[in-house]
Amino acid sequence: MFMHVDDGRRPANRVSRKSTCVGQENGFGQGNWQRGVRAAPRAVRNVAIPGWDCLDAGYALNVTTHRIESIVLKSWPLHEADLVVSLLTREAGKIKGIAKSGLKSRRRFGGALEPMTYVLASYAEKPRQELVRLDSCEIVASPLSEEMDYGRAAALAFYTEVLEEALPDRDPQDAIFRLTLAVLAHTRKGHIWMPVTYFSLWIPRLLGWLPELGRCTVCEEPLTGRGGYFHAEMDGLVCETHRPAGARMLTAESLALAQTMFRQPVAKFAASEGEAAWPAARAADLRRFTTQSLERHLERRLRSVEALRRLAKA
Amino acid sequence: MARFAEPMARLIEELRKLPGIGTKSAQRMAFHILRASEADAEALADAVRDLKAKLRLCSVCNNITDVDPCIYCASPTRNQRLVCVVEEPTSIASVEKSRGYNGVYHVLHGTLSPLHGVGPEHLRTGNLLVRVERGEVDEVILATSPTVEGEATAAYLADLLRPLKVRATRIATGVPAGSDIEYADEVTMTRAIEGRREV
Ligand SMILES: [Zn+2]
Ligand SMILES: [Zn+2]
Repeated sequence: MFMHVDDGRRPANRVSRKSTCVGQENGFGQGNWQRGVRAAPRAVRNVAIPGWDCLDAGYALNVTTHRIESIVLKSWPLHEADLVVSLLTREAGKIKGIAKSGLKSRRRFGGALEPMTYVLASYAEKPRQELVRLDSCEIVASPLSEEMDYGRAAALAFYTEVLEEALPDRDPQDAIFRLTLAVLAHTRKGHIWMPVTYFSLWIPRLLGWLPELGRCTVCEEPLTGRGGYFHAEMDGLVCETHRPAGARMLTAESLALAQTMFRQPVAKFAASEGEAAWPAARAADLRRFTTQSLERHLERRLRSVEALRRLAKA
Repeated sequence: MARFAEPMARLIEELRKLPGIGTKSAQRMAFHILRASEADAEALADAVRDLKAKLRLCSVCNNITDVDPCIYCASPTRNQRLVCVVEEPTSIASVEKSRGYNGVYHVLHGTLSPLHGVGPEHLRTGNLLVRVERGEVDEVILATSPTVEGEATAAYLADLLRPLKVRATRIATGVPAGSDIEYADEVTMTRAIEGRREV
């Protein structure tokens, strides 16, 4: 619903709202909106800000509007009816925005705010304001257009939690954006372990957290064909000689699989593997290695990793 | 912050724990209660105490109730063989609003939620399965939300019910009444088409 900046038919009781209008609370506007609105030239008035009835000319001139590809990470309620939405945008990195009436106005956002929905997000922002104002999200691809089950929900939760926790705000990472879209397309009911493994391997690599896997990080002895050892307290793999107490083995087969994953985009990798080739047990050691690496760098346990572990055991 | 006498400070502290209540509102409420009549203050205290003392979960359907079984499960006019599975006790009110439903309920108290540590073992499904296994149910309507977590929960329940040979149905979702189909997103539209019916 658009509240155009048009004072002509504004009911009298709106005037009394000036002290509580959103823009002023957030420091967007100074002075009363009446003056601002009346002072605004025609062109500025056309920068219609939905739901923001305290717009003034100074604010409107500084507003930049965007419509960019984004992946919805999560949303949570703010006040009675609004939502705060965390988005991974392609060009602006991770941003947070307020969806006014997002809780109530299902018509404006519908299912578009479900986690891992690929959307075209329209938002407005002002310099030095942390939160943008999210106006609409058009769905490009929704995880709900395919069959859902607990396993698929757990995989989507894993992508969501990792991206939300690992990426800094406003730091565009095109490769991570493309990786996420690619693995999402392959995350289907009864077929989650390949895309989850692929994602868990590539994210620490793209964030610079994963040393080269083909050699022992201590003595540089080649590990290809033999496998290596990993430990929750260290990066990368080591040879048998340098394995610390409590280290786990990454088999030669899983190491080879990781090296193949690094060479091939997910679609090509999926095609070469075939659908049936990925039971939960396959490359479980590789997933433990990569998720341990993620958890160590994030300095916290990931709930979705725990859910995936329990699912793999079941 | 001003210093209050201990009983006043304690009440303010307790009120402040309520959702949406800040220090100022809590102080206003506390002073209101102080000025209120003895009887009004007693009534409020009793209401709070009774809420915890008298309310419990219905042993049949998990609804929040003061009598067990709850009014729906004990009703002789309701179809006890038709069970609508909902996420929360508050969802019952939404279904009841339709006035078109005359069956009973089963409340899960949540959905599967990998991000909140809620796995299949945490869902309250035990008493539902018992009802079905005893042959007391003809149809289970899965009325969880059409969200990722609600759909995952419905799929999980459908898997549980399948071997029990009971009819399991999913509520139709689609274009909201009174809205323009122009505003329906692609997922909503797809579901509206899938859930179409003969006219
Ligand atoms: Zn070594
Ligand atoms: Zn009951």
